[in-house]
Amino acid sequence: MNNVKKGIVYLLIAVLCVTQLYPLFWLLTYSLKTNEEILSGQFFALPKSPVWENYSNAYNAGHYLKYLSNSVIITVTVMVCVILFSSMVAFAITRFRFRWGNLVMLIFLLGMMIPLQSTLLPLMIIFRDAHILDTRWSLILPYVAFSTPIAVFILSGFMKTIPHEIEESAYIDGASIYRIFRSIIIPISIPPVMTVCILTFITIWNEYILAATFISDEDLKTLPFGVYSFVSQYQTNYGNIGAFLVMGALPVILLYFILSEKITKGMVAGAVKG
Amino acid sequence: MNVLKVPARTIAVFILPALLLYVCIVFIPIGVSFYTGTLDWDGINTAKHVGFDNWHRMLFDDPYFWPAVRHTLMYSVFSMAEIPICLLMAILLVRFIKKPNRIVSIYFTPVILSVVIIGQLWSTIYSPESMGGMLNSILDSLGLDSWKRGWLTDPKIAMYSIYIVSLWQYFGYHLLIQFTGVQNIPSEIYEAAKIDGADGFKADRYITLPMIVPILKISLILAFIGSLQSFDMVMVMTQGGPAHATDVISTHMYNSSFLSQQYGYGSAIASFLVVLCLVFTVIINTIMDRVERRFS
Amino acid sequence: MANKLKMLSAVAAASVLTLSLAACGKDNNANNASPAESPAASSSTANGGQVNNGEKVTITVQNIYVDETTPTAKGLKQVVEAYTKEHPNVTVELDTLNTDQQKQKLKTQAAAKTIPDITMVNPAAQMQPFVEAGLFAPLNDILDKDGLKDTYQSGLLDYYSFNGNVYALPDGNNIEVVYYNKDLFSQAGISSPPTTFDELIDDVKKLKAKGITPIAIGEKDTWTGSFLFMNILLRTNGGPGFLQDVLDGKKTFEDPAFVEAVDAFQQLVEAGAFPEGATSIDANAGANLFKSGKAAMFVIGSWETGAIDGSTVGQAGNAAAFQFPTVNGKGDPNQFMLAPGTAFAVSANSKNVEVAKDFLHFMTSQWPSIQFDLKNAVGQPQLMKGDLKAAGYSDLAISVLDLFSKVNGGDLAFDNTMKPAIAQVHLTSLQNLFVQKVDSASVAKEHQAAYDANK
Repeated sequence: MNNVKKGIVYLLIAVLCVTQLYPLFWLLTYSLKTNEEILSGQFFALPKSPVWENYSNAYNAGHYLKYLSNSVIITVTVMVCVILFSSMVAFAITRFRFRWGNLVMLIFLLGMMIPLQSTLLPLMIIFRDAHILDTRWSLILPYVAFSTPIAVFILSGFMKTIPHEIEESAYIDGASIYRIFRSIIIPISIPPVMTVCILTFITIWNEYILAATFISDEDLKTLPFGVYSFVSQYQTNYGNIGAFLVMGALPVILLYFILSEKITKGMVAGAVKG
Repeated sequence: MNVLKVPARTIAVFILPALLLYVCIVFIPIGVSFYTGTLDWDGINTAKHVGFDNWHRMLFDDPYFWPAVRHTLMYSVFSMAEIPICLLMAILLVRFIKKPNRIVSIYFTPVILSVVIIGQLWSTIYSPESMGGMLNSILDSLGLDSWKRGWLTDPKIAMYSIYIVSLWQYFGYHLLIQFTGVQNIPSEIYEAAKIDGADGFKADRYITLPMIVPILKISLILAFIGSLQSFDMVMVMTQGGPAHATDVISTHMYNSSFLSQQYGYGSAIASFLVVLCLVFTVIINTIMDRVERRFS
Repeated sequence: MANKLKMLSAVAAASVLTLSLAACGKDNNANNASPAESPAASSSTANGGQVNNGEKVTITVQNIYVDETTPTAKGLKQVVEAYTKEHPNVTVELDTLNTDQQKQKLKTQAAAKTIPDITMVNPAAQMQPFVEAGLFAPLNDILDKDGLKDTYQSGLLDYYSFNGNVYALPDGNNIEVVYYNKDLFSQAGISSPPTTFDELIDDVKKLKAKGITPIAIGEKDTWTGSFLFMNILLRTNGGPGFLQDVLDGKKTFEDPAFVEAVDAFQQLVEAGAFPEGATSIDANAGANLFKSGKAAMFVIGSWETGAIDGSTVGQAGNAAAFQFPTVNGKGDPNQFMLAPGTAFAVSANSKNVEVAKDFLHFMTSQWPSIQFDLKNAVGQPQLMKGDLKAAGYSDLAISVLDLFSKVNGGDLAFDNTMKPAIAQVHLTSLQNLFVQKVDSASVAKEHQAAYDANK
């Protein structure tokens, strides 16, 4: 009885692995096929001979490096800002004694429910008046703003669990708040901070709508926008599209597999205590 | 308990930057949105004030609005229905696999991909056979000819096709959350229960479930909010078509604003969405709090 | 660093290009005497050298030429390089988006009054809101310079004029024709193209019986179906002007001509004329169905001629075109759906209006000769001179150009005539017909209701 049960469970897990991963594998083979092979509908077949030109085409025509570097610059900047801001807010809400802690938390939570796309037009007008349209700031500011609530949520959940004795003793010894924050709280909070890093990274890296609308300078475009433009441009060369899609996903996938352990650990620390 | 007594200035330093940025970027535009909902504006010329006309039209005169609401709510129901399955898989992983982290990472992979990529990928899977569509080709080779469909073009099933893609993508996400929750339950409790004679699924009923309720709440709320706002996925795959068959509230708003150039009307829809989200969050929170109380 | 490299390669390319442009110019001058088509060499005298007092300036040219292999994209690049070589103080930035992205972005920018120096718009009703809001600068002055105005086909600029001022210069002027694959036709036993709608339905059935997709279409992009439908309406209405009559209050959408057109359209759908899953195929993929020889017919604008020539079907000499048939005995085959091209407009609020206008003047002066050499003479808005056969144009191109000479009136597309809100209802309503049968009278009612609500 037990073995049958075990067998079923293993089968189930394996099937899920396949369904989750197969489309990605298919994308990979797709990117190495010629158009005829793709359209012939033999999806299980491996490419007869890998068409590496798809990748070089995509690389050259798609301005891959430029978009990649823009995405990196923006994402890293946003991540730094988000971690800074959200940790400060989470620290304040969970440790300081003041009246409006819950109100601040509520404000951030409310904001989580606001759909990004409905702020598109108003933000455009605000940015135009502030003369920051079509600059990196027009993306960095909204990205930071929209990522902060979840970060505050996760970090405050974690910080609530830090025993108070830790700061109390430091405080009594005369350490300033800033010192406590910098030298004690932050180091302890590394796991949820990692989670926040990763979640923010994924969201910002893949963001498309704001980037497409606020940025028109070719030199500032980010990767998802590049992917989308490329796809609409090369509608009929599916191999090229596949290659560009793979190249677009590659950075995130690599980063993810390197850091996957940290994600799990971080989620344990943070999300659980919400 | 918050114990640090700090001068107001320090509080300001820690909180104000983030708060101000947030209010400016998020709340003020929403306010502007509510205001724009009272206008008749084509986005280019001057606007006319029409009070609640847009809301009236939206709630009573627009034949595509309530179907869009229905689609959105069904989206949420499907997203939330996935969570018990994620919980089940999480429990199975913890129980039966020695090093489950690797598998969880595998399941999580679709989450990190951009919507553009996933949309493209699944659009191709759902394509008609003549265009190299994987699904119909598989059905064909399995001899299940009659099961072939226009997955994204048949108005009756297109919406479900999109739900499936979303479920596929977020399966790993919710699984991870539940997984960490289950892992967090100290094994001593299980051991104690075993001694008392309860193990396997009985243990689950009396231990895992009650302890996982807070995590479930998080998952459910995230799934719900996420699906209410669902936009990118539908936009990339069908733009709400064909002929409004896959419209959700957000795409209807987008099409009204940017395609039909009725920004006032679109803003009214956006405002409705915000209200809907708020209302439902309160509802879910209340229900979950009650469930939590019952179980603890 | 990237900028320096760009400039260096631009200068290098520009020098090579100027040399080849000069060479082309010599050939053209031998065939004609029109001054407006003169190449780079003479335009420098026309400009008098300096713009913006020699001060550094950057202008943005928003365009829809995403596919870098097309003649329009290549032409634009050539023009930019030539212009910046001549005016080194000017940097031209290209903001290139696909059609839908550009339309949407322009609307967002219009609302915030941040329209780029030069952008692209569609004629008549689609550009009207922008003109009414005073967002575009009148271009009469550059049209009067060097006789630029006369290089355009007569009457074409009317579609871009309001209150006596021209606000945009088109990049094309096309008509809707029916391309067909001679080889597939003979495979299905069709000896000659249909001249009546009944014959068309018949041919559709014959092709379907042979497992050939009768008509290619990419209805994920809803304008494609609408363009075809409007051709039917042009016939059932006995002539152009139906939409204008509706606008003037003389007719409503419930007029029998409209209902008849909807009926005929649904007949096509029911006969299986369109590919499976048409509403998930976008315009480019739809075009590809024809170009790769999978579909027998393609009802589309003449702008596709160049691409079809270059495709496998064209290269094999199998591509030809015929005029849209009469419907139920009505309509004149010499009346076509007209597609005046997307046009370049200058932002009235731009800080560099004069530079932008100068660039536009330069570009449109160069355009005919550049496009002629890129084998894109079909569908040009300006008069083309040159021996086509000698220049290596295909039989298809020559026959399509021939059709142009037959034009005896026509209509603009629905979304170029009606407000966006009404156009959207029309587009989605039509898209719906691809996936289910609907009572034609209720389709008419839906159109009328949308019209009444959005007048």
